[in-house]
Amino acid sequence: MPERTLIATMGFDERHVLPALRLLPYDRLVLVGSRNTFVSPGFRRLRSLEPDLQAVRVNAFDFGECLESVQESVRLALRNGPVRISATGGTKILTMAAVLAAFQEGVDVWYCDPNPVRLPVLRGVRLAAAFSGAEGSIIRLLRGAMPLDSMVHTVIEAGFARRTALAAIHTLAGKGLVEIATRDGRAILQPSPRLALIRAHLGDEPEKA
Amino acid sequence: MTVLFGTLGWRPQSLIPSIRSTEGLERVVFYHSDHAKSRDARGKIMEFCRSLGVAATGVELSDAFDLIQCAIRIREGVRKERASTADVRFNIAGGTRLMSSAALLVCILEGIPATYVHDDTYREIPLPLLRLTYGEALTAKQREVLAFLVKNRDKVFSETGLARALGVHKATMNHHLRRLEAAGAVERAKDPADGRRLILRPAAGMELLVE
Repeated sequence: MPERTLIATMGFDERHVLPALRLLPYDRLVLVGSRNTFVSPGFRRLRSLEPDLQAVRVNAFDFGECLESVQESVRLALRNGPVRISATGGTKILTMAAVLAAFQEGVDVWYCDPNPVRLPVLRGVRLAAAFSGAEGSIIRLLRGAMPLDSMVHTVIEAGFARRTALAAIHTLAGKGLVEIATRDGRAILQPSPRLALIRAHLGDEPEKA
Repeated sequence: MTVLFGTLGWRPQSLIPSIRSTEGLERVVFYHSDHAKSRDARGKIMEFCRSLGVAATGVELSDAFDLIQCAIRIREGVRKERASTADVRFNIAGGTRLMSSAALLVCILEGIPATYVHDDTYREIPLPLLRLTYGEALTAKQREVLAFLVKNRDKVFSETGLARALGVHKATMNHHLRRLEAAGAVERAKDPADGRRLILRPAAGMELLVE
């Protein structure tokens, strides 16, 4: 039986969470908040209503940490069934991270304050889906500057055709994720700063096309 | 040259770090609400830009709590600038949560580099964004069905009526609609005029995905 999970962001005031609990049916509740959230009277009142809720503690002013924690919670919950996010409570950084996590993981995200507003996310369309199998291989393999030929060879060994490997490199370069330079007459492939930003958020490895 | 977009709330400090850090800054375009404090912040941003010799445009959003309308308006502005300028970047730190979310949505749909400014340290944080081409996640026929529903949002269609309007078999339409429903792009609701009949509606904001 699939288990519906609601992941809700929370600050100190449980009243920003309650509309979501009323409007978005769930079997399991995950609350994401700061250390101060979980010692607040609002949280105690909420826990008395939902004793089985799972609390995920984050630094609500650290965007990267918030994003990673919400993404991790989404991935874990997706194993058991559908997931929804309520990004209504908590700091603005936490809510923005929750919205971005929803887009990257392809799950519904709502504001319920108090009227429900659903953001236009296509369920199941994940950030990783933006990459073909060959592109995914290159992203995983490219940790620093390396000769372009070596990368093409490695991708061919992974089961892709040469032209697929070359096309993937050019697509990634077009997306600003890799850079091609010439050093001592050799073409060198290197990750761009943008790739470093998104690599951690790609989650499961994309499958071969 | 770069055009910096931003959302602005009551604190000009949320946008100023991006104005300072943008290389080759040509123009600043920022969106704010009609609240008196936002208008005040707008004046401070205009003054700051004037002192730097950078052109600035403040765009007042009549309803900063309407996420979809904010996103449509912001996307229009971004597309207009992109048609004539090489680089666009976005600071989504200021404004209402819904304004910031609308800006984030536009950045994802248009593939624009976005930053957030920390509330206390005013440090710029680049966001790990990539363009998500949602349209490509649907088949051509599914896109056609969704675009038709979005275009005719004010009309009422049953599954049979929709199949007839688009000239496909009812079973084929059922297949497309089930896929669209599973993706959250289309919703079924009871016809207010006939409780026995189910009608189809595009989910909120789908106009942003089918363009």
